[in-house]
Amino acid sequence: MIIGLQIVGVFFAAVMIYLALLNYKRSELNGAEIFSWLVIWSFVIFVTIFPELLRTFAQTFAVSRLFDLMVVGAFVLVIAMVSASYVRTKRLEKKLEDLVRELSLKEKDSKKKSKKSSKKS
Amino acid sequence: MKIAIVIPAFNEEKNISDVLKEVKKPDHPLYVVDDGSTDDTYKLLKLHKGIKLVRHKINLGKGAALKTGAEAAFDDGAEAVIFMDSDGQHLVSDLEKFEEALKDGCQIVYGTRNLSMGVPLVRYFGNKAASLYVKALFGVYVSDLICGYRAMTKKAYKKIKWESQGYGVETEMVVRAKVKGVKHCEVQIKNVYLDKFKGVTILDAFSIFFQVLKWRVKL
Repeated sequence: MIIGLQIVGVFFAAVMIYLALLNYKRSELNGAEIFSWLVIWSFVIFVTIFPELLRTFAQTFAVSRLFDLMVVGAFVLVIAMVSASYVRTKRLEKKLEDLVRELSLKEKDSKKKSKKSSKKS
Repeated sequence: MKIAIVIPAFNEEKNISDVLKEVKKPDHPLYVVDDGSTDDTYKLLKLHKGIKLVRHKINLGKGAALKTGAEAAFDDGAEAVIFMDSDGQHLVSDLEKFEEALKDGCQIVYGTRNLSMGVPLVRYFGNKAASLYVKALFGVYVSDLICGYRAMTKKAYKKIKWESQGYGVETEMVVRAKVKGVKHCEVQIKNVYLDKFKGVTILDAFSIFFQVLKWRVKL
């Protein structure tokens, strides 16, 4: 059972490394980002194959099972990523709003100027 | 006092022409902000002479449209703006009340519907609960927190410039005005309910509930 889970875990992490590299090739991730993702997924593969390495951490945090520690770790990572993503989306939303509003006001001003100049001529 | 009327419009092809015919007044410049409509609203607006048309290329929401409209009006020299909805639920006959309140020295004027007359029960209780909630957190009670028929001076706008893009804008105006010490007053208006599926929904109400908490921490 554990071996089966380990195979699924390693396969999943390998797919994620492939997707990260693909995004990097498409210039959707920069050097620092691809490095972070490679470190994260390599670590996942490593601890999936050698889960006993986490035993010391599990004891430190008073978690009885290694699997629980991994789930908690994954949750922490997901929550951190969702928060970061929320902040980024908000920032983008604000920038988009500013841009669209600025364009519409500029368009109004240029219409006004062209009306004035046509009246003069 | 030079007062402009600002109307944000999004997919209002059915009502916008009638509304503009009613609202157009020679003594008040009329600014209409088409908020990225996907129907024929923009085409219809272009046919109307005597209005100042501003257009968002994409839909941003009521809050952003009000901001664009107000800034366009203030750039052209307006000293105050009156906001009206584009679906015809606000009556032109009430405009004078806002003008008078502004002339009396109010910096921001909230329109207040008679909530016991013709307002759906859910909206009535929702509105009252929202007013009490804001009162509890900010110490200001506005009888009709989400009514879009409002007026404000340029000075007030600069002080309370909001961030909400959507329907949270009316509530944000109230809390920012309170925090910044902007003098406000209320005027009684008549209201016509046309489309019960438009305007603030339950989901918007939930979102506003959490936004108010955020403003309490942030402002």
